[in-house]
Amino acid sequence: MSRYQMDKFLRDVNRDQTLARRWREGAAEVFDGYALSAEERAALARWEVRRLYEMGANPLLLLLSSMAAGKSMRGYIAALRGEAQSRA
Amino acid sequence: MAEIVAGVACSHVPFLAMHPGFEYAEEGQRNRVTAGFARARELLEAARPDAIVIFSTDHFDRCFFDNLPAFLVGVGDEAAGPATPTLPIPRARVAVAGALGRFVVSEGMEGGVDFALSEELALDHAEIVPLSFLTPRWDVPIVPIVVNAFAAPMPSLRRCHDVGAFVAGCVARFAQPWRVAVVGTGGLSHWVGPPETGKINAEFDRWFLERLARREVEQVFAKYPRNELERVAGNGGNEVRDWLAVAGAMPPGMRAEVLAYEPVAQWATGTGVMAWSA
Repeated sequence: MSRYQMDKFLRDVNRDQTLARRWREGAAEVFDGYALSAEERAALARWEVRRLYEMGANPLLLLLSSMAAGKSMRGYIAALRGEAQSRA
Repeated sequence: MAEIVAGVACSHVPFLAMHPGFEYAEEGQRNRVTAGFARARELLEAARPDAIVIFSTDHFDRCFFDNLPAFLVGVGDEAAGPATPTLPIPRARVAVAGALGRFVVSEGMEGGVDFALSEELALDHAEIVPLSFLTPRWDVPIVPIVVNAFAAPMPSLRRCHDVGAFVAGCVARFAQPWRVAVVGTGGLSHWVGPPETGKINAEFDRWFLERLARREVEQVFAKYPRNELERVAGNGGNEVRDWLAVAGAMPPGMRAEVLAYEPVAQWATGTGVMAWSA
């Protein structure tokens, strides 16, 4: 597990509209160049924000990258609270 | 030889400069926040600053964990932004008072504050949103000082206050007889990204504003050591470091007043404006 690599991907999505679009479109190659575990890739590919948050992704980056990829803040919050558990 | 002539501390919530977005807030709250910014602008213009030192925070659009400064001073000729396209805020460009910025960095190396510097510091909403209210003509050069407030470990609350005081000392020693205002942006309480996103702690916000107005910052340091502030004011609440920097920079005789405070649920932020004037 590499929190830095996850955060780096999310940071890049926030900066790069093409990357954000490709991520939103489900392109698998967006993760090339990041040393991500299979679990991290899966969670990112499926935009499982609660899982990503639990794995330690920076919450500000999670929100900003989600918005960059076309999610609303409301949609992000709903997804994050989906299973009503908080990180210890 | 230069002097501090005014101070402003204010929120930089992007909704302030987004349309739609600004309109999401209830009309009375919008009007009171806008009036607070208008009064801050009046006080700032009356002080006739030649430059504005602006303490703000980064949101991972300028700095990241690959190269992470605690205090980053912009020293180029100008700055523009926003650095990333995610938030639909207006584009802006403003001159940078590089001579003063470089002097601050140089004095820091001699005097115990290890500032980082950038010749190409872009702006984000932390600077663009407040300055669009305070200096809408974009005609006052700035010295941007970006404070790390989102990437632990971050400088302590006391450290940020003391860096503000240090910068004030640099202003006094600066060779040009400039009138210098100090602005700090961010906060107040808000959670950006965690499950509590949307929560506001108005009780904390009002308490904090009162401590600043009364120059009782030691109470803030004592009550919120280490990461305690984030627990009550959110990860976004860590941005009050910039308010503390302004407080640290203000000369003793300045009058501090809270110009607006509204817990704006639609903006998910305790939104405030405060000013110091002679």
